[in-house]
Amino acid sequence: MSTLSEESRRIVASLAHRVGPNADIEKVAQAIVSTLQDMGAALTAIIGQQGVAALYRRSLHLSTSTHPRLAGTYDSVQSSMDLTALSSVLAEQSEADALFFGEVLLTTYYELLTTLIGPSLTARLLSGVWEPSLSDTPSQENSP
Amino acid sequence: MSTKVTINRLATGVPGLDEVLGGGLPEFSFNMIAGPPGCGKTTLAHQMMFALATPERPALFFTVLGEPPLKMLRYQQQFDFFDSEAINQSIRYVNLADDTLAGNLDEVLRRIVSEVEAHSPALVFVDSFRSVVLASQTQDNPNNNLPQFVQQLGMLMTTWQATTFLIGEYFTETDTNPIFTVADGLIWLRQSVERNSMVRKMEIMKMRGQPTLPGLHTFRIASSGIKVFAPAALNPVEAPLEFPIKRLKMGVPQLDDMLGGGLPRGYSLLVAGPSGSGKSILAASFLAEGARNGETGVIAVFEQRPNHSQNATLAGLIQSGQVGLVDSRAPDLSIDEIVQLLLSEISRLKASRVVIDSLSGFELALAPTFREDFRESLSRMVTALTSAGVSVLMTSELEDRYTDLRFSPYGTAFLTDAIIVQRYIEVQSRLLRIMAVVKVRASAHSDELRLYRIDDNGVQIGEMLPDQEGLLGGRPTRQSPGIDNG
Repeated sequence: MSTLSEESRRIVASLAHRVGPNADIEKVAQAIVSTLQDMGAALTAIIGQQGVAALYRRSLHLSTSTHPRLAGTYDSVQSSMDLTALSSVLAEQSEADALFFGEVLLTTYYELLTTLIGPSLTARLLSGVWEPSLSDTPSQENSP
Repeated sequence: MSTKVTINRLATGVPGLDEVLGGGLPEFSFNMIAGPPGCGKTTLAHQMMFALATPERPALFFTVLGEPPLKMLRYQQQFDFFDSEAINQSIRYVNLADDTLAGNLDEVLRRIVSEVEAHSPALVFVDSFRSVVLASQTQDNPNNNLPQFVQQLGMLMTTWQATTFLIGEYFTETDTNPIFTVADGLIWLRQSVERNSMVRKMEIMKMRGQPTLPGLHTFRIASSGIKVFAPAALNPVEAPLEFPIKRLKMGVPQLDDMLGGGLPRGYSLLVAGPSGSGKSILAASFLAEGARNGETGVIAVFEQRPNHSQNATLAGLIQSGQVGLVDSRAPDLSIDEIVQLLLSEISRLKASRVVIDSLSGFELALAPTFREDFRESLSRMVTALTSAGVSVLMTSELEDRYTDLRFSPYGTAFLTDAIIVQRYIEVQSRLLRIMAVVKVRASAHSDELRLYRIDDNGVQIGEMLPDQEGLLGGRPTRQSPGIDNG
């Protein structure tokens, strides 16, 4: 568990880094969506678009069921895989609420993948996402 | 000669596979791994991939419809060869599911080629290729352009210097299939089920340009991955018999005399006798005598409870490391697996004496599918062991039938160089044991039937019973005095 909490600290730090110093809700939403996109890009090459979509929906479901207060807000998102839908829901939240949701969702996503393919391979596949300087690399590499 | 192309052969990293392939995997070959579901195709591919891929010459693993990649990663991780560090370094997975769903083979080919051009892989895998074919057949045109696709793929991959594997579920090898024609290599994996037992078998149906080992080869899948049991390589030039013959002592001096001075080195000896006649004790003293002379030995035990049947001497020798124990409780053994276990133990200990106790237990340990060929299997084992230069003592349970004189229940007596037979006889209301040397190839030996008994020091050979006759019938009769028994 210690490695996992280390990973979740890293996810939180990476998210904060993406948001930048003067957080407004637009930046928060953008940071969450771009992180999801990078994770998706790193994984699509390997498990395909459908695999990524399935992971995303399961993560959303797990996030809202562990934190019922998120359920009302994000239930509408679940029906579609579209990240713009998520983005527009996020835009209506307070910065703190949106950031909390982002941390929960990304950590849940990560943990879900860990239960499926183990911690070391998960870390390996997603390592590019958390490196602030490398955050753009996976999407470039994997574009056909 | 030097202007001819040299085909490099890659070491596959799968124990035994290189031998079966006839020296490794030909570089830039275009191969097919085929077989029914669950026979180990994907595992075989992964094991080779992790062994061969490097960051400079990576492997590309194209996943198509079939086993979802997430699950494949989940399960393949269980094997020791799986190294997470290699992923995205020397090994890249590329998902082609979306391209395949469209059913357009040209598009699939284009994707494969563009990835290959981007990464210059040394190895390319397509799993499962069968689903590429099936997806293409759902089009209006049932045959699509499959032969052309396969032919182009094969040509392109070889030109890009990639060794390629297509992986597919196929059930019958007689299918006329364009892939089978184009492929340079065709590896079939099978699971042969007989009664309650399952044995995995591999056959190299085709491997252009090299002498593969024909026939079905058994393999196992363990946590270390696939292990193929290639038949033992036989030394083509067997060492000629040296004169004078060097002989091994048996640990029973009188028996050495009966054998003409001991068992000739490199001979196989069958000790046949009924249950309880002391075969295992004789085998133990054979090994103990070796240990006394600084020789090491190996014993293969095929009993249900080996620890209970061991005598103290043998247990001590095993404990001290002078005798290696091969005690495979694995179910459904094949002869090649046993031979390999024995040979590796022999070379580890540089052993010169080998005991197999007993052939009856060995027959039971073999998978039912091999039992029909037991004589043939036994012959191969004896040849493999004696050509490794060791002397072999095998025990064989012999049902005491007083009407016929048989030396082994399998008609295998001719396979061995020497035979000792033990029997029970009834004399004056006692059950006595007699022993005789029936055969020692190319050597003089005793023709005496000698009484023997077993005590704490092992087998003690006694006298003949010259005043009895009909010993082999089990119920000897006292001879009338004065009649010459010539």
